[in-house]
Amino acid sequence: MASERTLYAKEDRRRFSAGQSVDFPFLLLVLLLLTVGLVMLYSASYAQSEYDTGYAISTRYLQKQAVCAALGLAAMWAMSRIDPKFWLKMAWPLYGVSIVLLLSVLVFGESVNGARRWINIAGLQFQPSEVAKFTMILLFARLTKGFGTQAKEFRYGVLGFGGALMGILVPLALEKHLSAIMLMGMVAVVMMFVAGTSPKWLLAGAGAAVLFVLVYITFMGYAGDRVSAWLHPEEDPGDTGYQILQSLYAIGSGGLFGLGLGKSRQKYLYLPFQYNDYIFAIACEELGLVGALLIAALFAALILRGYWIALRAKDRFSTVLAAGLVTLIAVQVLLNLGVVTNLLPSTGIALPFFSYGGTALAVNLGEMGIVLAISRQRDQPKEQEGQL
Amino acid sequence: MAKRKREYVRLRGDSGQHRRILATAAVLGILGFVPVALRLYDLMVGQYDYYSQLALRNQTRTTTVTADRGTIYDRNMNILACSQSVENVYLDPHELKQSKADLEAISQKLGQILDLDPAWLLEQAKDTTKRYKQAAARISEETAAEIRAYINENQISGIHLEPNSQRFYPYGTLAAQVIGFTNASNTGSEGVEAAYNSFLEGSAGRVITTKGNNEMDMPFSYERYVSSVQGCDVIMTIDATVQACLEKEMETAIARYDVQNGAFGMVMDVNTGEILAMATLGSYDPNSYLEIADPLAAAEVERLRTAYLLQPQGSEAYAEGLAAYQEALTAARLKQWRNRVISDGYEPGSTFKVMTMAAALDCGAIDLNTDFYCGGSEQIPGRAQRLHCWRSAGHGAEKTPQALQNSCNIAFAHIALKLGGEMFYEYVQRFGILEKTGIDLAGESKGVFFDKSLITDTDKWGTASLTSGSFGQTFKLTPLQLVRGIASVVNGGYLLEPYIVSEVVDAEGNTVLKQEPTVIRRTIREETSLTMRKLIASVVEEGTAKNAKVAGFSIGGKTGTSEKIDVFDENGQRVQDKIVSFVGIAPMDDPKYIVLVALDTPSRSTGIYISGGVMAAPTVGAVMADILPYLGVEQTFSPDEAAGRVVVLEDYAGMTQKDAEKALKAAGITGRFVGDGETVTGQIPAAGQSVPGDSEVLLYLGVPPEEGTTEVPDFTGMDRQTAKDAAEAAGLYILVAGNDEIAPEVVVTAQSLAPGSEVALGTTVRLEFADTMAAD
Repeated sequence: MASERTLYAKEDRRRFSAGQSVDFPFLLLVLLLLTVGLVMLYSASYAQSEYDTGYAISTRYLQKQAVCAALGLAAMWAMSRIDPKFWLKMAWPLYGVSIVLLLSVLVFGESVNGARRWINIAGLQFQPSEVAKFTMILLFARLTKGFGTQAKEFRYGVLGFGGALMGILVPLALEKHLSAIMLMGMVAVVMMFVAGTSPKWLLAGAGAAVLFVLVYITFMGYAGDRVSAWLHPEEDPGDTGYQILQSLYAIGSGGLFGLGLGKSRQKYLYLPFQYNDYIFAIACEELGLVGALLIAALFAALILRGYWIALRAKDRFSTVLAAGLVTLIAVQVLLNLGVVTNLLPSTGIALPFFSYGGTALAVNLGEMGIVLAISRQRDQPKEQEGQL
Repeated sequence: MAKRKREYVRLRGDSGQHRRILATAAVLGILGFVPVALRLYDLMVGQYDYYSQLALRNQTRTTTVTADRGTIYDRNMNILACSQSVENVYLDPHELKQSKADLEAISQKLGQILDLDPAWLLEQAKDTTKRYKQAAARISEETAAEIRAYINENQISGIHLEPNSQRFYPYGTLAAQVIGFTNASNTGSEGVEAAYNSFLEGSAGRVITTKGNNEMDMPFSYERYVSSVQGCDVIMTIDATVQACLEKEMETAIARYDVQNGAFGMVMDVNTGEILAMATLGSYDPNSYLEIADPLAAAEVERLRTAYLLQPQGSEAYAEGLAAYQEALTAARLKQWRNRVISDGYEPGSTFKVMTMAAALDCGAIDLNTDFYCGGSEQIPGRAQRLHCWRSAGHGAEKTPQALQNSCNIAFAHIALKLGGEMFYEYVQRFGILEKTGIDLAGESKGVFFDKSLITDTDKWGTASLTSGSFGQTFKLTPLQLVRGIASVVNGGYLLEPYIVSEVVDAEGNTVLKQEPTVIRRTIREETSLTMRKLIASVVEEGTAKNAKVAGFSIGGKTGTSEKIDVFDENGQRVQDKIVSFVGIAPMDDPKYIVLVALDTPSRSTGIYISGGVMAAPTVGAVMADILPYLGVEQTFSPDEAAGRVVVLEDYAGMTQKDAEKALKAAGITGRFVGDGETVTGQIPAAGQSVPGDSEVLLYLGVPPEEGTTEVPDFTGMDRQTAKDAAEAAGLYILVAGNDEIAPEVVVTAQSLAPGSEVALGTTVRLEFADTMAAD
């Protein structure tokens, strides 16, 4: 076995690029979701685009999104050809870079709606938090490999991961980027669970988070409003309950088969954010329960196939990295669907592959490229890892 | 590798990682989707109806297509009320917020255009709980255009205009209470506007369309159109000219006698029940029906308003003051809107004697030769209080006609006793005193008459109610009830249902409703009616109503002066306020029109004797003089009445003396010729001038007529002869109006040209004569 392992190690690079093809079902699911997502984006942003441009252009949002989708596909292709070992080496440097980026946003960032989250690099606007999500997952995978069985211990499993998490969350907190903090916190908890952190610490941490949220709601009026708008949207239909009610109108009027693709009425500026956070409501209205469940099923299949790939990864780093990236998609999807259907209070998390937002789409596709890269090694002998 | 063996990444001592990943996959890939799927099923299938309804309501816009309210015409198709297109401005605060509009700037600009407080507008614009906040109602098309320009210029979404209509009353205050007005929501309030609202309003149409927010058009929308139905036109029996004459003469009387509490009056066709005019003064302008028209009441309301505004806001005094102000405002409005002719009962007084006498004659309780004696006062059996006649000296021996002419209370008390309670009550019922007249106006009431037993059971209750009732006291009826009852006395005995709208016509010109004269019942026999006509005429010819005479017409009528029994001053003392009234009928040989004028509380300060004969009779006479020629009633002058007849002079220029004499004779006037030319070259008064029937005109033959002016003397208080002499001395002609008796107590009460004014020689001045002592 040892000799065989050495052989693989030597031939790793050659074998990787010339090796197995990527996992076809996963690729197909990504491409399907991207296609359906772009179609829905066009439909959902149609009215807004016409309104914004004085009825001149209907594809204003589609154009930008399509460019980013093309960039993302290119990134996915490139990523799918990079040996995961590369990321192992890059984990710490990228983590450092993303913290620098997050901090620089606070200084140089562009303010959009009162929050500084965007940075302009060579005329290209992007959100460092999207990169930070990836680098955090990357670092967690790197740490898992390093900690080994010690992940069970408090100082590794809790303090180690916790410290890495805080490095990202603190700048995000300074940006007041609540939705990203929540998303990253959830992804981190799932990754720690996978890495082997004792569930009792995770439960304690989750309990502390819930407690914090409750205190926050009690003392901060704004978030409290959000919760009351969540529980009783009909009490203030004109203001705080408006968004969620309009979303429910859209979903509810979809019925079994929907009004037909492109025939949403709520997208005519009734439902705000109809082309990003609430795009799924428009999909429900146009495609009905059947279409909505099909989309949900595509996501579920993608997630399950993603974990399937994680399970078959060649080494522990790849496993945790793939699981982390899939978890990132899964948490976003579930949070978004939960918010749109008013199961959860509004959080501001976009639906991957559907919602308008170039950085997020490109980064998501790139991340899917990494999962695809890992999937190339699915049939290779697994490395038995002991200590570091 | 030959055998594909399922191999997982294994960690020594931690074989659980693959299980943890499987668990994660199960939770995030399967379990997490279950609540979402269930929720989607619930929303999209379970609550589909609920949410799709809400969504539809959310997305549809109903645009109202207003139906034009019908026009109200008088009997000669003069427009009394019509609708004009105006617009409402409203804000959609939600839309304003969505479009991130500059609310400060908008409220400033709108405030400036609409003359509204910008702070108030800002408050409206910020109320995002509503999607409709009215900023202004019924603005003119010009103002609307200004707002539209502002909206377009600045690309504002959230300010909208909607069509509305505004009611316009071209005649202003004329017949205001009868026509009524429409309230803020275009529904008729008061009068014909209210009574015929369902005909007038039509039904508004609607266009229901799906509309995007910010009024975006949707390519996939549905539209439903419900067409509007135009309101019907209403043609009233009112004659604007007659109405204007009635109101004018009532206004004159109010000014002349300093009437404190307004006046009411009406003109009705005695044979059909059509109302030609109906007036309550002081009136209001339905074009601005919320404003208090009476200056005194308006001043009082304004005083209360400023008073409460001076109090500290939120204090008790402030709240009390506000309540007092609002109460006064409401009361003043309700008062000016009230149609007293149909809504308010009053004591008819002596005018009611016509019905008492008709009843007694009809059932044979008395005849024309029944003797009465009035000693000024008399103790009537069954009546605790001694009965006083209005003339304390008494009327002496009278027969039936004199009883009516003198309006003798003692004679009428005896007539009532002869008639008996049962019969009296029976006739009261026949005359419609116990029921509403059924006129087609909103807000009619009926008077308050005695309980039957109170006048029939004289053993128990005595004769006080029966005898007082006989001369129209201690009970109430509405002016319309009185007029209708008296109309039946002179029209042959037919009690009619009065009506004020003759026809309702839809937008295509089809008649929707047509009113015909309706006889409710017979009241008296034909012969009694004929007898009563003569008696009623004699009241004007010889009785208390001589002041109502109009030259050329035979007028009859009955005066009335009644004390208001239920008005008390602040000390609980009965106020001696009086309502003086007169019901006149013309022409007496074939009655056509009945006119009532009642003046509520003439002032004691004018020094004029307060009675129906002095005040109301000449007013009705003046109304008759105005309207009878207009209504085409033929004039016939007795020689005595020549001074009251009006001759309009021709142009005699160019005629020979002989021809001119012939022409003058034909016109019933005489001429004096000056000069010796062949033909007439000048005349005084000039052609087209009116002169009295017994005048002498000056015709000049070849010599220039005297030029010059003269000063109009003050004729007030002069009797006929003195006035004539004064006029001759001043070179004026006089036209006698009103009471044409030549007697010392019949004197000038008014003149058409102001004393002291300079007029051309030969001008005619109209003098109104009245018997200033005529009582009752």
